[in-house]
Amino acid sequence: MSTQATMTPVFPTFEQVFQGFAGQIGMLRQMAPKPTLTDDVRVERAIDTLIAETNADEAVWLESCIHCGQCTTACHYFQATGESKYAPMRKMELYRRVYQREIGPFRWWYKLITRPIKLQDLEELQELVYDSCSECGRCTMVCPMGIDTASLVHHQRSALVAAELVPPELAALHAEQKHMGTIFGASAAALMKMVDTIRDHYGVEIPVDKPAAEVMVLSSAVDLVANGNGLLATAKVMNHLGVDWTICSDGFESANFGLLSGDMSLWKRQVDPIVAAAKRIGAKTLVIAECGHAYPALRWNPMVKGEDLPFDMVYMSEYMGRMAKEGRLKLSPIEGKITYHDPCKTGRRGGAFDEPRAVLKAMDADYVELPSGREYNWCCGGGAGIFLLERATRLRDESFKIKLNQVNATGASTVVVSCASCRLNFEAGRVKNHWDKEVASLVELVADHLIDQPIAAGEGVRA
Amino acid sequence: MSLLEFARGPAIHWSLIILVAGVIWRLLGVLVLTRGADLSRPRDAFGNFKGYRTVFSRSWPSGEFTTATRYQTIMAYFFHIATLIVVVGITPHIEFIQSLTGASWPALPNALGVAIGTIALVSLIALIMRRLSKPKVYCSNIGDYITWLLVATPLVTGLMAFAHIGPRYETMLAIHILSVAVLFVWFPFSKLMHSFWFIFSRAQSGLSYAHKGVRI
Repeated sequence: MSTQATMTPVFPTFEQVFQGFAGQIGMLRQMAPKPTLTDDVRVERAIDTLIAETNADEAVWLESCIHCGQCTTACHYFQATGESKYAPMRKMELYRRVYQREIGPFRWWYKLITRPIKLQDLEELQELVYDSCSECGRCTMVCPMGIDTASLVHHQRSALVAAELVPPELAALHAEQKHMGTIFGASAAALMKMVDTIRDHYGVEIPVDKPAAEVMVLSSAVDLVANGNGLLATAKVMNHLGVDWTICSDGFESANFGLLSGDMSLWKRQVDPIVAAAKRIGAKTLVIAECGHAYPALRWNPMVKGEDLPFDMVYMSEYMGRMAKEGRLKLSPIEGKITYHDPCKTGRRGGAFDEPRAVLKAMDADYVELPSGREYNWCCGGGAGIFLLERATRLRDESFKIKLNQVNATGASTVVVSCASCRLNFEAGRVKNHWDKEVASLVELVADHLIDQPIAAGEGVRA
Repeated sequence: MSLLEFARGPAIHWSLIILVAGVIWRLLGVLVLTRGADLSRPRDAFGNFKGYRTVFSRSWPSGEFTTATRYQTIMAYFFHIATLIVVVGITPHIEFIQSLTGASWPALPNALGVAIGTIALVSLIALIMRRLSKPKVYCSNIGDYITWLLVATPLVTGLMAFAHIGPRYETMLAIHILSVAVLFVWFPFSKLMHSFWFIFSRAQSGLSYAHKGVRI
């Protein structure tokens, strides 16, 4: 390992990151675990999962649909393809059938008039709840009944986990995280290696495993195995703020393939070490890396009692926004017209709208809101793990055109995103469409516009 | 027992019993289920309460979706309001309600009743035309068509009886009452239950998004 401190870039550009990533994703398909259970058991487990996860909320939503068709207006996959099977209302049909046959008040009747669920039904469901629903929640915004289709889709993902019907790419990463605790091999050793590289080549310190710190920062596999600039930027920002921060080698991964695949127990299990580490070091704030689904995985995790936690969980953009509002981020002005894409998971399904905009304001940006912005933002088409699915390429590419036209309509030259998955999907769309826009990550943009010299970690004011 | 006596007697009474019992059974069957707990900390301590706004705010689509939803929203409003007025506003209906409950109120002039009934029927036809013309959007199932038919029939037969068109008045009236009886029986098992569900469904989503600080 080189010990020479130099500012020559050693990390690849994001375009190279994206290309390298595409190769790695290809390998996932071969690594996917094969089903081990009999067909009957798989069906039974799927049904049992849906029964177990159905509460009054789900029952009411399943009862409420009147087939008014308005959700089709809101769904990027339906709008991009015009194909009826992608209508959001159809993504809950199988769940409704299970509900009506097993739980609903007229189940004795529905057992007579509806077909039992077969494995083939579940196989067909896979495309509807993985490939063609990013759980973005936009259909809920138009539904006159306010049905939360995204959460119904999520329960069906859980059922498909039980039925061993997770798409291969997600299944491979799910298995890796479940059995090895890593994603794309991003182990604690990979973290240490990246930290060393950043120190040696950029002279930027990343405090790892401090016994106590005010702020605990998470990283993500994308940053550790491919996009070193992400972690580098995070470190620069934290050091600039001069807060007492650390990364814990026993709880650093933001990404959660329990949540993405629909495996509730793995979702919870991945969160536990992070919470334990944050408690151990006495953190007041836990900063989640720019990894969209990590926000609901941690901040909005329904299984972790928030009132008992001695710390706040905030998204990277949220944290920087708060610092910007307090005047603690000193940023140089940014050139050109800028727009911002709200990741579904931090925007409509997360509520962190104002903070990223406050960061851009602190850079004196010529900021323009996307048409259909904020709560009404269109998904980029790659959320909820869909970016990883080769089979969903057409759906992603077609639906991205909605995003592309939206950004074009603003006249902005740069679109800022704050989610690694969105960013990879934007990058794919940019390359495929020879798009003349720049796609930037919020944290990397901020790191590039920090004014003063970075303060060594732990020496400055406390958070 | 004549057809009219059957319609006015056991048919409508039993259908009402099925309607009420069925609605209660279906509502209770769902509402007694446990509520899932979201243990995460709300964005604002009292923010969740704001979620109840969705019950009202969702009565009209957001400006974001105006173009796509305008036709259907306006027609649906015409249909719901006109139907409600006719159901409780014309003399024979008020007399029927009075026979059951004792309550009574002034009726609309007959001509106005016919006009509003016609509006209800025309808007209902406008809605089914759209459903039929855009099958990919509506993904209709058999229940959608049965429900439409069973809602349209009382409107058609009621207007015919009121205007003395078709068979003998007594027969027409009997057919009208029987069509209502069929509608009552169908109601608790069909999507017509949305007249109750909408409150719960909107409130639930409003609350779960308000929990995260999002206004839907």
